Amino acid sequence: MKGPWRVAVLAVFFLGLLVVLTLRLWSLQLTEAAEYQDQADRQQILLVSTPAPRGDIVDVNGVLMAGTRPALSVVVNRKLIPVEVEESVIQRLAVFLGIPAADLRQEFEDHGSGARFTVADEIDSADALFLAEHTEDFPGVAVEPVPVRIYPLGVTGGQFIGYIGRPTEADIEAGVRSTDRVGKAGVEREYDSELQGEPGAVKYRIDAQGNILGLVNEQSPQPGGTIQLTIDSAVQAQLESALADGLQLARNAYNPTCRPVQEDPKCPIRAVGVVLDAKDGSVVAMASVPGYDPTIFVDGVSSDEWNELLETAVFNNFAIQGIYAPASTFKAIAYVAAMEEGIFPETAVQTDTGQYFCEGLLEFRFQDGSPQVYRDWKADGHGPVDLHTALQSSCDVYFWEVALKVWRSSGQYDEALLQDWARKLGFGVDTGIDLPFEQSGLIPDRAWFDEQQAEGSGRVRAEGGWSGGDLMNTVIGQGDVLVTPLQLATAYAAIVNGGTVWQPRVVAGVLGADGEIAIPNDPVILNDIPLAQRTVDFIRQDLQLVVNGPAGTARAAFESFGPGVEQIGGKTGTGEVIKSADASKEVDTAWFVGVAPVSDPEYVVAIVIERGGSGGRIAAPTARQVLQFLMLGEEGVTDIAEGAEAD
Amino acid sequence: MAVTAGHRVGRLERRERLRPDIFLLVSFLVLSALGILMVYTATAPRLIAQGEAGDVVMRKQVVFVIIGTVVFLVSSLVDTRKLRAATPLIYLVSLASLILVLTPLGDVRAGAQRWIELGASFQLQPSEPAKVAVILALAALLARDSDGTLHWRSVARAIGLVVLPAVLIFRQPDLGTMLVFGFIAVAMLFAAGTSFRQMGFLVVASIVGTVALFQFKALKVYQLTRLTAFLDQSSSLENANYNQFQSEVAIGSGGFLGKGVFNGTQTNLSFVPAQATDFIFTAVGEQLGFIGGALVLGLFAVIIWRLMLTAVVAHDTFGSFIAVGVASLIAFHVFVNVGMTMSLLPVTGLPLPFLSNGGTAFVTMSLALGLAHSAWIHRAPLPGERR
Repeated sequence: MKGPWRVAVLAVFFLGLLVVLTLRLWSLQLTEAAEYQDQADRQQILLVSTPAPRGDIVDVNGVLMAGTRPALSVVVNRKLIPVEVEESVIQRLAVFLGIPAADLRQEFEDHGSGARFTVADEIDSADALFLAEHTEDFPGVAVEPVPVRIYPLGVTGGQFIGYIGRPTEADIEAGVRSTDRVGKAGVEREYDSELQGEPGAVKYRIDAQGNILGLVNEQSPQPGGTIQLTIDSAVQAQLESALADGLQLARNAYNPTCRPVQEDPKCPIRAVGVVLDAKDGSVVAMASVPGYDPTIFVDGVSSDEWNELLETAVFNNFAIQGIYAPASTFKAIAYVAAMEEGIFPETAVQTDTGQYFCEGLLEFRFQDGSPQVYRDWKADGHGPVDLHTALQSSCDVYFWEVALKVWRSSGQYDEALLQDWARKLGFGVDTGIDLPFEQSGLIPDRAWFDEQQAEGSGRVRAEGGWSGGDLMNTVIGQGDVLVTPLQLATAYAAIVNGGTVWQPRVVAGVLGADGEIAIPNDPVILNDIPLAQRTVDFIRQDLQLVVNGPAGTARAAFESFGPGVEQIGGKTGTGEVIKSADASKEVDTAWFVGVAPVSDPEYVVAIVIERGGSGGRIAAPTARQVLQFLMLGEEGVTDIAEGAEAD
Repeated sequence: MAVTAGHRVGRLERRERLRPDIFLLVSFLVLSALGILMVYTATAPRLIAQGEAGDVVMRKQVVFVIIGTVVFLVSSLVDTRKLRAATPLIYLVSLASLILVLTPLGDVRAGAQRWIELGASFQLQPSEPAKVAVILALAALLARDSDGTLHWRSVARAIGLVVLPAVLIFRQPDLGTMLVFGFIAVAMLFAAGTSFRQMGFLVVASIVGTVALFQFKALKVYQLTRLTAFLDQSSSLENANYNQFQSEVAIGSGGFLGKGVFNGTQTNLSFVPAQATDFIFTAVGEQLGFIGGALVLGLFAVIIWRLMLTAVVAHDTFGSFIAVGVASLIAFHVFVNVGMTMSLLPVTGLPLPFLSNGGTAFVTMSLALGLAHSAWIHRAPLPGERR
């Protein structure tokens, strides 16, 4: 051939092409190899997670209040169904389950590609066996024991136990898988991370079509921890039955035919109660009636039933979320302040036993000289009282005088002295109980008043400043004071136990495998007030006389108590609720806070019946049933009956 | 007398004359053996997963290799002079088969009409042997017309020889094969001594031709998709780039030493499409790493080197041109195929010579290599023949 140089040029060119390829190969396999290896690993592993059984919730005695039961469910994992056979799988599955294929296809689409979801619950074992034997016809379809949440006690304790549901967008962003269930309320929510457990993971090696080629490894799920409550389910059941009785009592007394809705201010709407261990703040029982059975969030509920539940706001735990004027039950706080600070009416001998004549009204002048007349709840007055009898008979006038003494002290006492005592006892701030959505209530003072006035919130007068009258209202638990039943119970527990304000708790701890508490939720002291022993002795005695004394406002309600009534103390309260909008008066809020036994208090029982009327007439008999159960046992509980109309 | 003299060629002399090119032979055999192994690793896991025997495809490839090797050996012994005489017939038969494939006898697969069914389990892809026919035709033409330079008339004839089958192949459509013809033609014309002006004309003509193809929307949609997907490297996995991306991942994850035979998760798990055929090089890259990939490219370099050497030492210009044509055929196939698996070039569907699973391609390549090898074997003049 002529011109071999041309062949040489071609040879160099061809070999040059090979050199280019080799350089590219070098760059892929040496320079960027790690990156490609990661990519290869990522697309060859399929992670399928298996749900962990949610932990149980048991009461203080180990009674199951929330648990899980395995139900054989048909679970579809779309990731495992090759696209080309999906339609035939749907067809077969529809026939097997006896549902229209169109519905099933819709369900597939709703869950999205790659989703894992349950298409049938609680199939029987014969069906389960059939599916297990025909896996080749049903790729990606498995029978799994899906944990189903159960609440064996039904409505009992529903509000603090709470319920579970689908995660919100925020939950999913925080790393919760959309197929998981999360606690939405109560202990289920507060202790969600303890209850969740660790889901198991199965890693499969897959090919490009998503066919499973083999198991890489398998990690079994770790069940969630068992939560032991401080709640005693027996007391809880009694509290709820007593509250239901109390609510019925109030309706019978005031408005037997009304429909209990929020919009009707004259209709007794709910009864709320807390039973607290006075020695460490443990919640023994806590309820608001009407309540709900958390099972409805598992099994579903008709829309009518749902709307009815919403109408009475059953999903709110009013023991920690309801805020009420504490009324005369709040006098115990002023009482303690008076004892400890030595504040007594101007005209009385300056001791707690100094006599003061309690008339039916109090006439006085404000600093600006304006004459004022405040009327006691008892129009003909209480006659001669001292601090102790003033509490027993719930004399408003005496405590107004205490407030006026502080108001007029010209600097001897801090203007907010009485409010500070309330705050020390836990009012106006969250107790920090281990439940979600707690309300903090309100202890009004000048600073709060000025702030509200400046904001024009409508909660306070537009003209004039914080006045002596406001302070007087505050002292008797009216005006703007707002407390939760739990706060009131907490404060009473502190007063009668010598001054220790315990943080309330519903959970004792997380149980270990041996059934013993492995991670305790120890009681926490919020505040330790060094109360004089004399103060503590006297308050116990005076509370006992409210129930047992001749002038006691709860005497009539406790007549049928039975043996040991002398160990019962308490305080009634009747809160006036003025609706500012239409000025129509609601039925009063009925209160009773009970303490037992007074010699060494173990329990504080706070009862509030919203629109229940008189505390002595309605709330005290309700509390009586609970106290009977606590002190005398189940047999000691007698039928509910109205007490005397009293503040 | 010459004939009698021929019979009297001594044993030693004869052996000298028929000594094969060991380099070429070994490269061919090693690549073919490697191809069998790679085809096996790329198909067995999937077949086994489907409940079939894992070696079904590999066994077929073994048969192809045996047939191909026989074809290689036989064609190595073919006297190029006789072949030259038969070239016009071969060319015409090849054209006829290309026309045949476009008739209803042709089999449509994946949108392309490229195969002729011959019996139940054998299909012929006429565009493959057409490559050999075109090389032979060009070699015959150039050997006749070239005297170190080339007349314009000869260039035109050469173009004519190539355009006829190219147009038929374009109708199938098979863009890759059409480009092969163009590349071979340019390389052979260059070797034949085209002037710079002629080369310039060829370059301009091919550019104009390519533009015209696009302009008249003569390209099928899938061809355009492949080309545009290649140009838009940022496009996502769902696009046509998926194949190449997976191929790149497979090769890249192989690293220097590779993952080991049968440990190629990418190829074994069929993430890479057409892993036994067009993308066979990914199986090499992933399982045998840079070492294996470089070995394959090195063996191809040896083959090209030997073929170019053959072109220089061949006894006659016909054999010379065959060697150049076959070298350019292999070089183009390797460059386009391997470049495609590494995202250097768009997907065109050219198999990797001697490695890709497929009978027609293997036998065609063996035949082409054998014919070029024949030029090496017969490089010494026959007794009495002038050099």
